[in-house]
Amino acid sequence: MTTFTLHFWLNNQPESVEIPLTATLLDVLRDELHMTGTKRGCGIGECGACTVLLNGQAVNSCTVLALQAQGQKVETVEGLAKGEELSSLQQSFIEEHAVQCGFCTSGMLMSATGLLRQNPHPSEKEIRTAISGNLCRCTGYMPIIKAIEKESKR
Amino acid sequence: MDKSASPETSLVQTKLAEDPVKIEIKDSKLAMVGMNIPQIDSFQKVTGTLEFVSDVVRPNMLVGKILRSDRPHARIIRIDTSKAKELPGVVAVVTGKDTPDIRFGPMIDDWYILAKDKVRFIGEEVAAVAAEDELTALKAISLIDVEYEDLPAVFDPLEAMKEEAPQINPDIREGNIAAHKHIEEGNVDAAFMESDYIFEDRFYSPRIYQGYLETNNCVAEVDAKGNITLWAAAHGIYAQKLLYAKALDVSSSKLKIIKPAVGGSFGAKFENDTHLVAIVLAMKTGRSVRIDHTREEDIMASNARVPMEMMIKLGFKKDGTLLAKKVRVVSNNGGRTHYCPAITSVACFRIDSLYRLKNVCADGYSVYTNTAPTGPMRGFGNAQMHFAMESLMDIAAEKMGIGPIELRRKNFVHPGDLTVHGWKIDSCGLAECIDQVERASKFSERRHLPANKSNHLRRGLGFACAIHATGNRAFFGPFDGSSAMVRIREDGTATLTHGEADLGQGQNTVFAQMLSEILGVEMDKIAVLDPDTDNIPFGLGSWASRGTLMGGNAVVAAAKDARQKLLDSGSHLLNIPATELTIRAGKVVSLTDAKVSVDIEDVVREYVYRNIGLPLIGNGSYIPETETPDERTYGNISPAYPFAAHVAEVEVDTDTGKIAIVHYWAADDVGKAINPLTLEGQMIGGVAQGMGWALTEQMIEIDGRFVNDNFLDYKMFGPCDMPDDVQVFFVESNDPNGPFGAKGASEIILNPIPATIANAVYNAIGVRIHDLPITPDKILRGLGKL
Repeated sequence: MTTFTLHFWLNNQPESVEIPLTATLLDVLRDELHMTGTKRGCGIGECGACTVLLNGQAVNSCTVLALQAQGQKVETVEGLAKGEELSSLQQSFIEEHAVQCGFCTSGMLMSATGLLRQNPHPSEKEIRTAISGNLCRCTGYMPIIKAIEKESKR
Repeated sequence: MDKSASPETSLVQTKLAEDPVKIEIKDSKLAMVGMNIPQIDSFQKVTGTLEFVSDVVRPNMLVGKILRSDRPHARIIRIDTSKAKELPGVVAVVTGKDTPDIRFGPMIDDWYILAKDKVRFIGEEVAAVAAEDELTALKAISLIDVEYEDLPAVFDPLEAMKEEAPQINPDIREGNIAAHKHIEEGNVDAAFMESDYIFEDRFYSPRIYQGYLETNNCVAEVDAKGNITLWAAAHGIYAQKLLYAKALDVSSSKLKIIKPAVGGSFGAKFENDTHLVAIVLAMKTGRSVRIDHTREEDIMASNARVPMEMMIKLGFKKDGTLLAKKVRVVSNNGGRTHYCPAITSVACFRIDSLYRLKNVCADGYSVYTNTAPTGPMRGFGNAQMHFAMESLMDIAAEKMGIGPIELRRKNFVHPGDLTVHGWKIDSCGLAECIDQVERASKFSERRHLPANKSNHLRRGLGFACAIHATGNRAFFGPFDGSSAMVRIREDGTATLTHGEADLGQGQNTVFAQMLSEILGVEMDKIAVLDPDTDNIPFGLGSWASRGTLMGGNAVVAAAKDARQKLLDSGSHLLNIPATELTIRAGKVVSLTDAKVSVDIEDVVREYVYRNIGLPLIGNGSYIPETETPDERTYGNISPAYPFAAHVAEVEVDTDTGKIAIVHYWAADDVGKAINPLTLEGQMIGGVAQGMGWALTEQMIEIDGRFVNDNFLDYKMFGPCDMPDDVQVFFVESNDPNGPFGAKGASEIILNPIPATIANAVYNAIGVRIHDLPITPDKILRGLGKL
């Protein structure tokens, strides 16, 4: 199996890992680095559970080849909190009960983080659009939308 | 469990008829129950640190993959695994020959772990591989050569019932009928004779995917002495363990199932053959094996919602009194049996207890076809029948010139009723539910507004109501209750184990609240342990909306047991009688002088040291006063029955057939909202599922193959599809059997939704939709435009 060494910034820390050429960014995160906060829901870019930020842009990490991340900045759910101190977006998700089973949560948080960085005061429609690639079967989305709105007004 | 052997339990039950906390904690009102408490594992969920089934890693773990049949019906002539075995990195290849010659199944023994001599549906498990990595496993699967001899196949249950249809399961029964349910009460024929109006119609609910975000994955491991450990999702890990032990021909004590956090289920994650294949691979290799379903595979192998053809006939007196109901249900069981017969049975009769019916008759057929097996999803057959019944009630109301709400008010059950099937309705908040949604939607005023004929956008309001159960004694006659165990540790924190299951809905949080309420231990000092079959007390699991009531009563009983031990120990330390003490905010406190107190941790140490090192454990169980239904299916199957009334407002575009849900009002009688925050979340989530079922979801199957087996083509509601205005209300009818009055809340929300929306569509454009989902092409066809 052909391998290569991926060097990238993961949650603002330099990271190097030897990986198969065919690995996706999701494979690297979950299987090589054991950072399992990023979830695999479909593997083909349809559910958004694996959303991470690549250079600040929300992407489905299951459809990004790891080598595309060479030298780039990747942010995952593990990078949101500082130790026990949650980001205010994470806090909003808890307060608004935007979390039920929690399997879509990481992806939702990353899509929302990407949105709010580019557009700190989005309209409700912009919020819906920003998370339209993220499926959730538990919450009916309304609490998630409310949590993101709450954060945008903080 | 013998009830007479457990006097304490019945005492607890008697007390529960009132408010347990008020009885014991005279000085305070509810502190935790009824509060908005985020799920206790929210922190782990938002930080990505919660370990789901998918995240379990074991040393030296292999990747397993399953070769599934690509034929709907075929004899297996030969399986050649030699090329797959030769592939470097492949550790084992197994076929039916490597599995016990045992037939098993959750309802009918028509499963093998891997197919023996024939396959009955596309997706049936034929062979499996364990390899060092996923790519090798996939490659090996493609190298297995199976020679099939195709057999004639049948996909439609109505066709499969015909005499000339191919027989799918050799030893089974005429017309491919896996199970036939007949129920009759009163005298239906006479009642129809007496009826002034008779309405009859046909409805259809298609196959629906449960659509949770975490596919049904697992890890299996076997040690040198043959002890098996399985990490998997489960609604009830005990039932799963018993079936798997039978299938594997091992003693059930050899098998341990651990259920880590689960990324949603909605009925899908009951027994699944994939778990057994993983165990077989682990036994063969002596190493741990992970099998993850791809999404496409999961859609095929999830035992999706049972598709049902429903013929329904209702008879009424002139004044709207409902006299008689007759139904015929034909369900697609798939090629082997999961829970379709039970689901069909529920569809046949559960809704009868929504109304004061006296004469009912039902026949339900679960029919084998060469399609993937079907099983539970939120609502369990009752939801399907609600679409038929509540649509026909709407039709009947219009034809009889009675308002749809008025017709329901005339007929629905009341507290104190004994229904046609012997169900005891101790609490019923349906009248309040109806009032709530009627008021909020201004149903009566706004329903008859003249349509603006010049406008292609038409609005309409629809109404439906619903009943469900909270547990079902019919499933396991010997014991329908629950048990729980709480341990107070020496640092004053508590751990709880219970026999139910948190599948993401927040079961653990609600239990922790009840525990906190009674024990006086703060929420952040309570841990609810992941269940594993070696450490939890016996329980049936979270299904049939039973968890909160059954498990909750057990948790309350366990908490009281522990509380008494704390008080007795505190009494010793403070030299005050236990009857003059209470527990508050982590302290045992004097009722007369709040300054006199001792920390729980000191009390626990006192208990432990005075009891020669025994841990402070509170045990509790709950045995509901339910009845195992007799041969007529008569008997009170559940300690409590939740109710609901919903109104939808839709806007239909008569040019395009597109339907927009503009407003949705849902009122559910949940007995008592233990946690309004999580309850509201569960209800809104249920509304989203129901809307998808009503409008967009359908597994499209052509000759036994699902053509939309992915999330792009299988369309669930996304963030942009949800209406702006969804309002949920809960009515608290305080059921005497519920912990703090609570009944089950998870399924009731879904039951009325498709009918509510179909009735609104009819109100908007005069087109009656009989087949879900209500898609634009059906609207345009109904309008004569297609």
